Amino acid sequence: MKITVKSFATLRDHMDAEFAIEIQESATIADLLTMLTERYPKLEGEIFLEDGTLKDFVNILLNGRNIAFIKGLDSILSEGDRIALFPPAGGG
Amino acid sequence: MAVIDGYAGKIAYVNLTKGSIEIQETPADLKKNYLGGRGFGTKIISDRMDPLVDPLSPDNILVIASSPLTGTGIPLGSRYMVSTKSPLNNTLMSANSGGTFGWKIKKAGFDAVVFEGRAEKPVYLYLNEGKAELRDATSYWGLDVHQTTDALIADLGDKKAKVACIGPAGEKQSLLACVMNDRDRAAGRSGAGAVLGSKNVKAVVATGELRIDEADKDGLNAVKERIRKKLDENGICQALTTYGTAVLVNIINENGILPTKNFQSAHFAGAEKVSGERLAETFLKKNSGCFACTVRCSRICEVDGIIGEGPEYEPMWGFGADLGIDDLKTVIQAAWECNKLGLDAVGTPTAIACAMEMREKGYITEGPQFGNPEGIVELVRQMGLREGFGAELTDGSYRFAERHGYPELSMSVKKQDLPAYDPRGLQGHGLSYATSVRGGDHVYGYMVSPEVLGAPEKLDPFVNDGKATWTRIFQDLTAAIDASGMCLFSSFALNADDYADLTAATTGISMDGAALLKIGERIWNLQKLFNIKVGYTKADDTLPARLLNDPIKEGGPKGRVWEREPLLSEYYTERGWDAEGVPTQEKLRELGLE
Repeated sequence: MKITVKSFATLRDHMDAEFAIEIQESATIADLLTMLTERYPKLEGEIFLEDGTLKDFVNILLNGRNIAFIKGLDSILSEGDRIALFPPAGGG
Repeated sequence: MAVIDGYAGKIAYVNLTKGSIEIQETPADLKKNYLGGRGFGTKIISDRMDPLVDPLSPDNILVIASSPLTGTGIPLGSRYMVSTKSPLNNTLMSANSGGTFGWKIKKAGFDAVVFEGRAEKPVYLYLNEGKAELRDATSYWGLDVHQTTDALIADLGDKKAKVACIGPAGEKQSLLACVMNDRDRAAGRSGAGAVLGSKNVKAVVATGELRIDEADKDGLNAVKERIRKKLDENGICQALTTYGTAVLVNIINENGILPTKNFQSAHFAGAEKVSGERLAETFLKKNSGCFACTVRCSRICEVDGIIGEGPEYEPMWGFGADLGIDDLKTVIQAAWECNKLGLDAVGTPTAIACAMEMREKGYITEGPQFGNPEGIVELVRQMGLREGFGAELTDGSYRFAERHGYPELSMSVKKQDLPAYDPRGLQGHGLSYATSVRGGDHVYGYMVSPEVLGAPEKLDPFVNDGKATWTRIFQDLTAAIDASGMCLFSSFALNADDYADLTAATTGISMDGAALLKIGERIWNLQKLFNIKVGYTKADDTLPARLLNDPIKEGGPKGRVWEREPLLSEYYTERGWDAEGVPTQEKLRELGLE
């Protein structure tokens, strides 16, 4: 199935800003991030701590909803989903 | 012998009507119970002024106050506050600004300046090493903020002098007028610039090199090191250095809460073109920062050979998504025009957005139109000068919409326009908007931090449970930070105990995080009491009908509205107020406000 991935802020130094990607049915966010870190090796250090958990303030949206309030890295993807990846960032 | 406590030790009481200045010691109980900045302004005005005065009359009081942590070399310790009765909405407002001016007031020998009365002709206040003097400002009247600042410094021959002033907007008593300092820094909201204009005060100039010593220098150095490390290691602070606040345009848009076309939508298709990322690729020259700042979030941009400071996130959104405009050059130039004229860079574009919606709906037949950047910079200029169609808008969206019979199209709370976050997708932030003691506002309790950014922890933005408590804590902590002199952005990395430790080492006033929060709560309740006296009730603690009734149409928060209840009732209980939102006697006793 095909999903869309967008990256923002400093992540764009390490990966494309927007692209479509093929992924297996019922894949999770964790599966997607594995694919992405293989394709963009520098991404791993930007979003993951050494123990494999997401860094503080890294936010991943699935169709505009933070995965922290779905099933985290186990959130399941569907055809046509839109993923947005944010490094720690903010303002006011 | 002078007390060594991080304060300059003096307050100048300026009676403009009489042309007299009385200098008094900063009272010990004022320091202990209200710290400085917003606390000083709130307490001094509450004590000295009838809340029912006309805010643009000589009877109103305006306080410019620095703070104990300002200018002591603590990272992000640079702020001062301007407090007065707002002519925009009658609240006891207090607006925050950085740069170097807050530091320089203290080097000039003062913790605060209190203006009362009205000068016969334009004046400026000159502060220099413990002395305060009113001087003729006739020759500066009519100049913009940049011209005024540069001319005062040149005429005084003192490149170390720092200037806070009003621009033409303040002179014309626009209810969107700011007090500006260091050329492009704004104590931006609630119309404080109009109050100075009404008093014929063009500027305050501070100069001098007086020493400010802290109570426990060694102790403070240790705390400074600790907090410097926390700030340096904080991911959000790091990103502020790289992209500035404008990085939020895409973040908020992707979350489906970027108000678009006067909050008719919450997603802007053109966001990328007016984003922080695009700014960095195009017009950005470098970053800059306030006194002692290690984050340096300000943007220095170049457009057509002109170099200027800004824009920040709010005007990027206001002149971008809220007007449906994706032309970054216009957005930057319009934001710069606000600074030059001394206009609120939130309330200015939102007033234009309101007019655009009325034009779109056919309620007015002239005026700007969504998506069209042509004439926007000129319209801002007209607003600053109270000329042409700008004169219609320069007192804010509420008065414009009400005059034409459509007050519901003003996206405001207590007549002050909402900033760049749609609360239909943010229950806690909506509560913060509805209950803010100066009306529609994001810097009196920035619930976006936990609800979107995940700091200090991630809170589900759609959930109501617990939000009353979080909002109260954020509001009280913010009030305390505004009293301490620290920049609000430090709160992405620091907690109440950090601020308490900094304050204790600087002032010698023993305190922990709970005591610091109590100071914030005292300030909040004092502002609330003032607002009750001017006539605000529970009915005003709400949001525009659109945000209560019309669901968001797309994105993550699709189908959502802001749910006033149970949030508001829980909030009043959380605050120790009665069911009508009035502080109880017990609460007032607890805070020493009975």
